[in-house]
Amino acid sequence: MASTSQPPIRLTSHKNFVYRLVFSTLTGRTVHISQIRPSSPTNPGLAPHEISFLRLLDAVTNGSQMEISYTGTIVVYKPGLITGSATGTGASGGVIRHEIPAGCTRGVSYFLIPLCLLAPFSKSPIKVTFTGPGVITSATPTGDMSVDSVRTAILPLFNQFGIFNNIELRILKRSNPGPNGRGGGGEVQFVFGHQLRLPKTLHLMNPGRIKRVRGVAYAVGVSASNNARMIETARGILNPLVPDTYVFSDVSSAPFVPAPEKSNPSGKKKIGLGFGLSLVAESSTGCLFSADVASPPSGGEAPEDIGKRCAYQLLETVSKGGCVAPAAVPVMLGLMTMGSEDVGRIQVGREVMADESTIQLARDLAKFGAPGWGLRDASGENENGDVIISVVGRGIGNVGRKVA
Amino acid sequence: MIGKRKRDTAVVSRATTSDDEDTTQTTAKSSQDIFRKFFEAQFQPLDVPGGQVSRSGDSEDESDEEDLEASDAESDWDGMSGDEEEPEEVQVIEHRDVKSQDLMDKKARKAFMTAKPPSSISERTTTKTPKKDTGDDNDDNEIDADHLKNDLALQRLLKESHLLDSASDLAPTGKNRIKALDLRMQELGSKESLYKQMMPSSHRRGIKAKAEMKENKRRKEARENGIILEKPAPKSNTSSDKRRERGVGGPSIGKFAGGTLNLSKHDVAAIQASGRSSSRGRGGGRGRGRGRGRGRGRR
Repeated sequence: MASTSQPPIRLTSHKNFVYRLVFSTLTGRTVHISQIRPSSPTNPGLAPHEISFLRLLDAVTNGSQMEISYTGTIVVYKPGLITGSATGTGASGGVIRHEIPAGCTRGVSYFLIPLCLLAPFSKSPIKVTFTGPGVITSATPTGDMSVDSVRTAILPLFNQFGIFNNIELRILKRSNPGPNGRGGGGEVQFVFGHQLRLPKTLHLMNPGRIKRVRGVAYAVGVSASNNARMIETARGILNPLVPDTYVFSDVSSAPFVPAPEKSNPSGKKKIGLGFGLSLVAESSTGCLFSADVASPPSGGEAPEDIGKRCAYQLLETVSKGGCVAPAAVPVMLGLMTMGSEDVGRIQVGREVMADESTIQLARDLAKFGAPGWGLRDASGENENGDVIISVVGRGIGNVGRKVA
Repeated sequence: MIGKRKRDTAVVSRATTSDDEDTTQTTAKSSQDIFRKFFEAQFQPLDVPGGQVSRSGDSEDESDEEDLEASDAESDWDGMSGDEEEPEEVQVIEHRDVKSQDLMDKKARKAFMTAKPPSSISERTTTKTPKKDTGDDNDDNEIDADHLKNDLALQRLLKESHLLDSASDLAPTGKNRIKALDLRMQELGSKESLYKQMMPSSHRRGIKAKAEMKENKRRKEARENGIILEKPAPKSNTSSDKRRERGVGGPSIGKFAGGTLNLSKHDVAAIQASGRSSSRGRGGGRGRGRGRGRGRGRR
């Protein structure tokens, strides 16, 4: 897959790191990322979660090479084939066990969403179990969504591309961020068993109206009444707007992870206490908008405030308009780019388009050789000023499936 | 929540009442009176021996006045107020109780809180299809189940009719029940009868012979009387037909006892026969330790 003749794509800064690596893997272009946090006096170079993501990529691919400079500020990644969890390539019993180190500040969704983008183009089904002392299933202060939102707001989107079989995201153990937002102790099992040659071309230009709101309130190691309070406040705000609002409550005990000390080498401690709320609004045309708020690791925030903030965040996301929530933009546009050589169209809100991350994504995709996006104002009654993005697929699709 | 509501309304009443009424009256009243009035405004008039017992019978003006006074008095005391509309005010709670809702849709929870990503389409079908089924198919199912039940009962009655002395009860009791159970179990393929137990073989043979005789007699009598009985159970000739299990390493032919291999006439004949038509005799028997049985069966 690796094309030796082509020079590596040179990129800078740590921004959009994971998606750069993902697109590198999907297009088979070697990537050279430099100036990764060069000016940070304490933590220059790659952060623990980025290293962990590189390890994950190494596990699901075959033949990929990566070189990291001494300071960790330069990475060269030469992608291999996406093999998935075939036995013998780092997977035991068809399941890859990915351990996340204790210092990780990002939620599991940081790893999950890019992995979802890779998974349809894998050779064999991808089955990954995320374990270790760094697994945070809840939303994090660093801006990651909760695992529940990934399941209820990101994974259903693949349905529109004709990817729907045997996709599971099982939360075995929940965890909020630990002290100082570092580490967790959760466990998540991810199965993506639907691989295909090329995803369907998407034409999504009708946002529809919000018809229902679903959600999950989770409490880890704290009283279940927190859930009830969050749900009550959130419902108080959302019910007058959408009567079909249900928020389910999930209470679990705190994970008990080993914390060896000098005096007590077999010591264990409870970690990742807290609570949070994940809300997902679904429109009549199947567009999904999600919101996530969790209690901060330092605590001191009432469940009512969390519920209120989450409900308002959901309303804000919906108010941005379009068919795609900001969090789902990379997945949708990434899949459209990897589709067949045909023009797919998608309507997004003007604000979503103007978002920094969306523009960064567009630039990166252009670097990877994708044709530019065509932008025009949406037709019809377009009071929000929505934009229609036309994306031409690259027609590469699944290289592993091309021969087989 | 209720407290907050009241506080909001109290602000308005304070502004209006303090302008209209003089507040000197209320200052004289004791704090107990104020509390009592507040209580009365909320619930029922109290029966207190004293001045204000006849309050309920008072004219509307008076009661209004009193209410105003009460609200006035509470104006210093933040948090409680009893203006005119308060007791009659209907509180509308916008959203239902979380607990009752949770109980209501356990099914929805089960559908939503799985490992699979929820899909709106599947959710709709799961909620709708069972309803349709209940309309049409349930009746059929019930009738079918009924038929099956009756059928089974009839079959059993026919099979176990000999056990029933009094043909009235379909559910036999006591000894008959055990017998019936035994019959059913044997019919379903149980290896041993409930009645089988360790005993000398001569006894068993006697019992068997007796049972057979009884059965024959019953059948004969029934035939003579023109009664149709159940068909005789197929004889289980497994024991006689089955090849005996033999240990590993035993002789493939003959009987090894006392350090000598004894060959019977049959064995000798079998050997000679296999010698004559070697290709046939050896084919299957070799290496399996079953040469003798095969040879015998083939003759």
